[in-house]
Amino acid sequence: MIWVPFELHTHTPHSDGRHSLAEMCREAGRLGLQGIALTDHNTAAGLAEAEHIQQTTGVAVIPGMEWTTFYGHMLTLGAPYTEWRDLGPRDIHKGIRRVHEAGGIVGIAHPYTMGSPICTGCHWEYDITDWSDLDYIEVWHGMMPALRPYNWPALQLWDQLLNEGHRITATAGRDWHHSDLLGGAPAFTYIGLEHEEDRFSREKVVQAISHGRCYLSVGPRLHVEARLGGRAYFLGDCVDSSSNIGGEMSLRLQLDSSTASGNLGERVVVTKLILESNLGEITEIPWREDQSEAEHLVSIEGLRWLRVKAEGLMESSPIPLAMTNPIYVSSPPVPEPERAAV
Amino acid sequence: MKKQLLAVEGTLTPLSSKSHITYSCLVDEDPASLDMEFRYTPKVMEDPEASRLLIWEAIEKYEAAELVELRKAEWERYMPLQNLLTLSVDDPHGFRGSAHRHPSEQRHMLCEQEASPGFLAGPLPSGIWKITISVHCVVTPECTYQLIVHKGGQSRDLGSVRAAHAYTT
Repeated sequence: MIWVPFELHTHTPHSDGRHSLAEMCREAGRLGLQGIALTDHNTAAGLAEAEHIQQTTGVAVIPGMEWTTFYGHMLTLGAPYTEWRDLGPRDIHKGIRRVHEAGGIVGIAHPYTMGSPICTGCHWEYDITDWSDLDYIEVWHGMMPALRPYNWPALQLWDQLLNEGHRITATAGRDWHHSDLLGGAPAFTYIGLEHEEDRFSREKVVQAISHGRCYLSVGPRLHVEARLGGRAYFLGDCVDSSSNIGGEMSLRLQLDSSTASGNLGERVVVTKLILESNLGEITEIPWREDQSEAEHLVSIEGLRWLRVKAEGLMESSPIPLAMTNPIYVSSPPVPEPERAAV
Repeated sequence: MKKQLLAVEGTLTPLSSKSHITYSCLVDEDPASLDMEFRYTPKVMEDPEASRLLIWEAIEKYEAAELVELRKAEWERYMPLQNLLTLSVDDPHGFRGSAHRHPSEQRHMLCEQEASPGFLAGPLPSGIWKITISVHCVVTPECTYQLIVHKGGQSRDLGSVRAAHAYTT
């Protein structure tokens, strides 16, 4: 599996972006991105030129939209235009169904940014009655996302949903409107694909994101693999614990800061990896600058999900630099209750 | 020859926020192009005291509890509050595009071969077309708008639309 850096939230003059799709894709290539999702506000008209531009720049363009509605901004990926104008605040599941039926997936954009009248409709106010309908949440929005206070409750929401047993993918989105390098470093969403060429496949990219096969990073590349019972599991996979109740899974952690592509030249040093889970923080693994790999054993007792966060220094300040989606652990079978004596 | 199909205007108040106003008009023969002019005024709210009250209200509603006082103290960074109206178009068969952008004077064109950014080029079938004004936000006590639609215009001045991108979010 290879991890392909994508930017999943972008705008062009087809809505209110200031760079053309061609300009953005050229800049994306310069930053080390290999794909973008075109998510103009309420239109997919920009896709007419996507085929030509991805051929000339080598940067894949996946169709999407940002439903810029009165009650929240919802990203769609992999679907053509879908209708949003007839939905009230309690109708979002009807809207989500439209996107799913068109072959796409949906995610909440910047759920906790300021709403109207400061930023109209920017704060998520739709009633969600079934969270399993949601495919992803933009947990990291904007430049230097881990430092933005409005992203903190988004992370809390995601944790809560994971703890409740939902498998919702976390993504990063720059909300890219222009190519000026303002506001620090963007985080990329690295998507796990079988082949590099798969980045041009709408279906494969959508499937990988839907599965949770991705991590978010402002620089370091992370590779996380779990092994249990002779099988390997990657991000988004669900470890089958049924034959290893109370056992341990082996985590292989690989990290490469030198290929950091979204960092725009800032020096990035990872100082520790943190294993986070439904049981809270499991452990911190100190990381040396010359280190590229570590193995770690984790008890699967009570474990439902586990993710890896890389913390370190950017411009000498300590910040979270990367965060994976979870590897999930299936619940052990509930033992049959003993038959009561009659 | 250029022919006016629709010329409407209206006055909105903050109560109009979060509503859609849809105009239907008959396009009775295949035109060479459709030309839409749309403007609204005012764009920004000038009254500082009224702005402060609205900004404080939004901060109390949306900001994390521990940040509310900090943000309220720096309320002027959210100035000026703005009205936001956007336009979208449906032909008799379905969606033809949307212009979600911030300038309060816009011009859009649709032709068979090309279209303004946000819209889809293609045949312009006769029948009932719909133009929707999405009232995302009206903060000022009143906001007036004007929408004029022509068919058959010869101008292909799409550049004027591009030049109007003064704002981004």
